[in-house]
Amino acid sequence: MTVVEYFLPRSLAQAVDLLSRHGPDLLVIAGGTVAMPLINDGISLPRQVMGLRFVGLDEIEPSDGGLRIGATTTLTSLLRQRHVPMLAEAARRTASWSIRNMGTVGGNLFTPPPGGDVAVALLALDAEVTLEGSRGRRTLALSEFQTGFMTTALEPQELLTGIGVPAVAGETTYVKFGRKEANTPSVVTVAVRVARDGEVVTDARVALGAVGPHALRARKAEAVLVGSSLEPGAIDEAAEAAAEECEPFDDGIASAWYRRAMVRLFVRRALEELVQHVALEGR
Amino acid sequence: MKVAGHHVLDAGPREVFDAACDPATLLAVIPGCEAIEQVAPHEYQGSLVLRLPGVGATFRTFVRLVDADPPHAAGMEGRVEGPMGTIAGRADFGLTEVDDEPAHDGRPGAGSDGRSIASRTLLEYRGEAVIQGPLARLDSRFAESLANTLIAQGLQALNSHLIEASSTVAPASGRPSPREAPE
Ligand SMILES: Cc1cc2nc3c(=O)[nH]c(=O)nc-3n(C[C@H](O)[C@H](O)[C@H](O)COP(=O)(O)OP(=O)(O)OC[C@H]3O[C@@H](n4cnc5c(N)ncnc54)[C@H](O)[C@@H]3O)c2cc1C
Repeated sequence: MTVVEYFLPRSLAQAVDLLSRHGPDLLVIAGGTVAMPLINDGISLPRQVMGLRFVGLDEIEPSDGGLRIGATTTLTSLLRQRHVPMLAEAARRTASWSIRNMGTVGGNLFTPPPGGDVAVALLALDAEVTLEGSRGRRTLALSEFQTGFMTTALEPQELLTGIGVPAVAGETTYVKFGRKEANTPSVVTVAVRVARDGEVVTDARVALGAVGPHALRARKAEAVLVGSSLEPGAIDEAAEAAAEECEPFDDGIASAWYRRAMVRLFVRRALEELVQHVALEGR
Repeated sequence: MKVAGHHVLDAGPREVFDAACDPATLLAVIPGCEAIEQVAPHEYQGSLVLRLPGVGATFRTFVRLVDADPPHAAGMEGRVEGPMGTIAGRADFGLTEVDDEPAHDGRPGAGSDGRSIASRTLLEYRGEAVIQGPLARLDSRFAESLANTLIAQGLQALNSHLIEASSTVAPASGRPSPREAPE
């Protein structure tokens, strides 16, 4: 069985209408960098495919001090924006030029680990996702959207239309560790955000990628950081907590054991980098 | 493909067993389950809609309960058929009553929402399946991780269902979280 119909709706309304008419057997594709290899390899055999390229969801706009990212914004556009440096860095560390030109920010939220590098940064920024279908529109925290390995809260008749990044306080660091420097699958990806009042941490996010069924928040590590002054003892303790609470897996890139060890190392490095960065800026 | 794990559910083995054999309950708790009907005393047939990244498909499912020893144990033989392949296998599960285990909040005899409940059940499962067709080309990590996710979500939903069904005395509050530990 091969693709017999390919739809290219010109508006969101058309796309939603097609989806409700054809149901879940209509495969939605954004950049296609995850979906097309599956189709070409004969693993995915959709009869009908809908491309989202022309539905007009590819804008990035500042909003209320934060950012509004259309679901089909390419990773290249995310890399080029200057509003949220951690998102540009996350995009820069994702895949290669050619994949970034096709691959979308929305698509990254569906990519199973070890993929999903941009999702990790978005999680540390408390991002929300907007979902729209024939029954209307709803907004969910990204942490509630990703529900398991390859599963999300998206209903069969819904599309992901946008990602909202609120105006959040604090400094950020993003570290992706792979076997190579560029264009490499992640062993572990770490995104941290820390807000402080003077020396004291008032709010912290530690998001991890490639060490669980989807991007995860290391909540115990976050709890260790809040109230600390990011002193070496607190950083070590947070790194240890993150290593304990992650849920790593074995694959061709790394063993679960190694991934856990690298969580310990790279959470510590990310936090140390953040401290150094703040010290330099404060001069 | 192999899966194994255990969960603690906030109801007695009898209630868990009955719920697991009730098509209406199964329809409500199985992720993506769109239809289910009983076609013979211990046989069910239904359809499952899974919209996975890169794959949009409806799967036909057939499940037969075998070696049932209610309410302690049962086996399930089943087949899931979709455009990209077939998954066929067998799973066995055992139900044991747990009454003295410290509850989620450390107090004995309290459910995951702190409510006092009569008993709880340790559900242990182990399953093996053979994947055929294009789907078999995927790394087995994908199928196993996905199966573990769907089982965890299904059992979480089953637990909510059991708590709701038994909550004529005090309404359930909050989201129950059965402890899960895939082996
Ligand atoms: C060679 C290579 C290297 C890669 N390296 C990395 C890497 O380093 N890091 C990383 O994170 N990823 C990597 N990826 C994965 C992928 O390229 C990115 O995650 C990309 O962001 C996916 O976006 P897409 O638009 O191409 O997804 P698509 O393939 O278009 O989408 C995948 C599926 O997601 C769903 N979907 C997508 N958008 C929507 C929507 N708006 N509404 C509803 N459903 C939707 C659909 O089911 C769709 O079929 C790599 C891929 C390749 C091929």
